[in-house]
Amino acid sequence: MTAIGFTLQPHLPTLELLAGLIEEEPDYYEVTPETLWRPGRDGAFEANGFHQRFLALRAHTGKPFVAHGVGFSVGSARPDSARRERWLGRMREDARAFEFGWYTEHHGVTVLDGRELILPLPVAMNDASVATVRASLACMQTCVPDVGLENSVFYFHLGEPLDEPAFFARVLDAPRTHLLLDLHNVYTTALNAGFEPWEYVQRLPLARVIEIHVSGGRDSDPRWLASGATRRLDSHDDSVPETVWHLLERVLPLCANVRGVTLERMEGTVEPDDVALVREELRRARRIAEKR
Amino acid sequence: MSDSQAIELERLLADVLTDADPAQAVERALTDPNIAEETRAALESIDLDGLRVSALLVAKLRFERLLQGSARAGERFETDPRGFSAEFKRYHLEVPPRSSTPSEEARSFDFWRKAEQAN
Repeated sequence: MTAIGFTLQPHLPTLELLAGLIEEEPDYYEVTPETLWRPGRDGAFEANGFHQRFLALRAHTGKPFVAHGVGFSVGSARPDSARRERWLGRMREDARAFEFGWYTEHHGVTVLDGRELILPLPVAMNDASVATVRASLACMQTCVPDVGLENSVFYFHLGEPLDEPAFFARVLDAPRTHLLLDLHNVYTTALNAGFEPWEYVQRLPLARVIEIHVSGGRDSDPRWLASGATRRLDSHDDSVPETVWHLLERVLPLCANVRGVTLERMEGTVEPDDVALVREELRRARRIAEKR
Repeated sequence: MSDSQAIELERLLADVLTDADPAQAVERALTDPNIAEETRAALESIDLDGLRVSALLVAKLRFERLLQGSARAGERFETDPRGFSAEFKRYHLEVPPRSSTPSEEARSFDFWRKAEQAN
């Protein structure tokens, strides 16, 4: 049966508000490793208080963890080797401590020309990028044997977004490399680019899907653009839209090797009145998984 | 696209996304006769509204990283949101983002602020 997971955010008020459902509902937890680090005196990363808290949760519940990073920058054309080694050194320690089932990263580039832009940004979908991303995944495999790439939301593209599934198929042909299929990201990209989400999904190498993300989001503030136009955002700050639930129902039976469906919700986006809703979303994901 | 062209495209995107007017920065980049044809084609294909949203999010994420790393910055934002936001905007345009953690960003901001006040 496909396991159901929940993202743990390093934010005390959110963790305390959701403490009951965090213990009771998910089968596994997902963390963003770099949010559990702080710089140490010698420049290496060391564990912060949330690292300890989540290790204690693991010991208490016995439930497994998976890692999902944002900042490794898999698409950087010329990655800084000192930065990479600092990152991977910490990841190896965390992989030993948490025994991550798998380690995924956002597709794209967050460090460009040595500048840390934080937001995943698009890469051109060509042979050079295929080689770059494959090499990054191989680096990640020195920490955790099963690694993967998540389809990110890009607000501009270098090429056609509907060519991205074929790019993933080329990148993910090495053993134990997988796809983290984020269905809200598909929905967001489709809305912004003007195509049907299933047009994208059906082109994906679905046999490589190890995990599926579901979440919600919002539109950008109309004041952001002089035209008043908005874009759907990958903000993880709202309930899962019905379209995303329908996508999950449709795609899950086609993902022969999927191991988990994870509900994502960003810190600071849940009020007391939302707790029951979040719990119901986890249960809805479970009901869909049980029908698979 | 060769590795050197990929590196050139990354540099141009980083310049554009940290510019005060990203769309104008793309126009300026396209006036350079020496950029590779594939790089030129990639820049010409960019949806400018999507680029503007991306640049705003880059700034927003850096702002959030600073507030995470500096309680003092958070207090100043609470007290004077407009003034602090204007200050952050200057910082973001003047100082390339090279910090990979909130505390590094906080140190970078403090260093810039002291230099600005000394001038």
